Amino acid sequence: MSKTVRADVSKGGLPFEEALKKLEGVVEAMESDDLPLEMLLARYEEGSKLVKICQEKLAEAELKIQQLEKTASGEMKLRPADVSED
Amino acid sequence: MSKSKSQWDFGELFPAEQARKVLSVSELTAQVRSLIEKQVGSVWVTGEVTNLRAQSSGHMYFTLRDAASQLSCVLFSREKVPHRGLLADGQKVLLQGDVTVYEARGQYQLIVRAVELQGVGALQVAFEKLKQKLAAEGLFAPERKRPLPKYPQRIGLVTSPTGAAIRDVLHVVRRRNPGLEIILAPCRVQGDGAAAEIAAAIRLLNEFNHQPSTLNLQLILVTRGGGSLEDLWAFNEEIVARAIFESAIPVVSAVGHEIDFTISDFVADVRAATPSAAAEIITEGVFASRQFVQSLMRRMMQAHPRKRLDESFQRLDDLQVGLLCHGRQGVRERQIACQNLALRLRQVRPKQLLKQRRELLQMNRQRLRELARVRFKDLKNNLAATETRLRLLGPEQVLSRGYSITMDAVTGKVLREAAKVNAGQKLKTRLAKGEILSRAVK
Repeated sequence: MSKTVRADVSKGGLPFEEALKKLEGVVEAMESDDLPLEMLLARYEEGSKLVKICQEKLAEAELKIQQLEKTASGEMKLRPADVSED
Repeated sequence: MSKSKSQWDFGELFPAEQARKVLSVSELTAQVRSLIEKQVGSVWVTGEVTNLRAQSSGHMYFTLRDAASQLSCVLFSREKVPHRGLLADGQKVLLQGDVTVYEARGQYQLIVRAVELQGVGALQVAFEKLKQKLAAEGLFAPERKRPLPKYPQRIGLVTSPTGAAIRDVLHVVRRRNPGLEIILAPCRVQGDGAAAEIAAAIRLLNEFNHQPSTLNLQLILVTRGGGSLEDLWAFNEEIVARAIFESAIPVVSAVGHEIDFTISDFVADVRAATPSAAAEIITEGVFASRQFVQSLMRRMMQAHPRKRLDESFQRLDDLQVGLLCHGRQGVRERQIACQNLALRLRQVRPKQLLKQRRELLQMNRQRLRELARVRFKDLKNNLAATETRLRLLGPEQVLSRGYSITMDAVTGKVLREAAKVNAGQKLKTRLAKGEILSRAVK
């Protein structure tokens, strides 16, 4: 798991799990009634940023599938996979 | 009797001496070999394996026999035979190969090209045997199992590019985590040499992972769809088990259907029941997180500050209405209280009290008057009665009957004894009517 986090960091910004955990904390705080309005506004702004971060990490990208091959000379190369898909 | 011809007498065909052709052993053997190869050639033959010898070269020698005959067989190491390791003495097999002559020994034999195991349970026995062996070596040890990364971004896939498994996997991944990057190491998943290809694909992905690249492979999925035990057999081969065991990247194995368990399933870090199930496991983290983020967003909108403000405004309005209401209510309550007090005050004012007292006085006066009247009457009656009684007791009654009372005229003292009267003493005598003044003589 720590590997994932590191990978996230290398990609830039807050690790996904941390962002998610923070977002959960923010929402829980916002849901508590005794949060003063000023704090609520601040939390809302923070939460909105975290949602954006989380969504970026979960981005609906196009599924990328490549085929790994070893050439006669022993070199490895990737090329678009020919996959028969219905 | 004519001279009968011997069956061995070929007459003109073999003229004596100069016509005789003598062959060397090699020549003869070569001729026989050629004859056999042309006339018999490629065959299918069935029998039982005996006297099996596996040489270090990888070639295998054995005798195939049935109840009456024997046939020498050679299985060269270059032949891609799926169940080579399962050949054993007593194993019933169907062989395909070419009949030839091993000239060095002048022995005809079968060069085996393909082997099909026969007899029920042969594969099952082999499966159990390998399973026990690898278990004893610790290849299935639970403590060796590595957890899968929760949010994999790039995975290796070992399967056939044309199989049903890859379609299922891509279908699920596209739906649940299309952001996943897949590096396919294509291989055949059944038939001769499939096991070696699978093992090589796993090793290739590990080798690829060693390269300095931006993103590492976070797991490898080894998979194929359902099939017969024979179809799935490649995943029960030791070479595949070793490759999975040695993989530095965690491996998910998903072979066949739910009911199919293969050796690769036991060695892998995670076993999935089907290719689709494997894809679901791999995408679970991202899929669940996406839903979680959705729910958090909904909750955040529920707790939106604007909402709180709206609520506050509404509450303020409520309070304002309440305030006015309570103000009016207060005034009203006091008004009512005041009215009550006024009423009570009116009820207790002095005029009323005076009237009451006057009435009481009047009443008492009347009672007094009444009492006095009654009392007076009683007294009057009493007086009359007493008068009568008095009259009855008084002297008048007696006097009227002729008696008289004599008193000392000076003192008025009633005289009851004559002896106490002095001569010359003045007397007063009372009669019924009037008095007589006299003087005593004697």
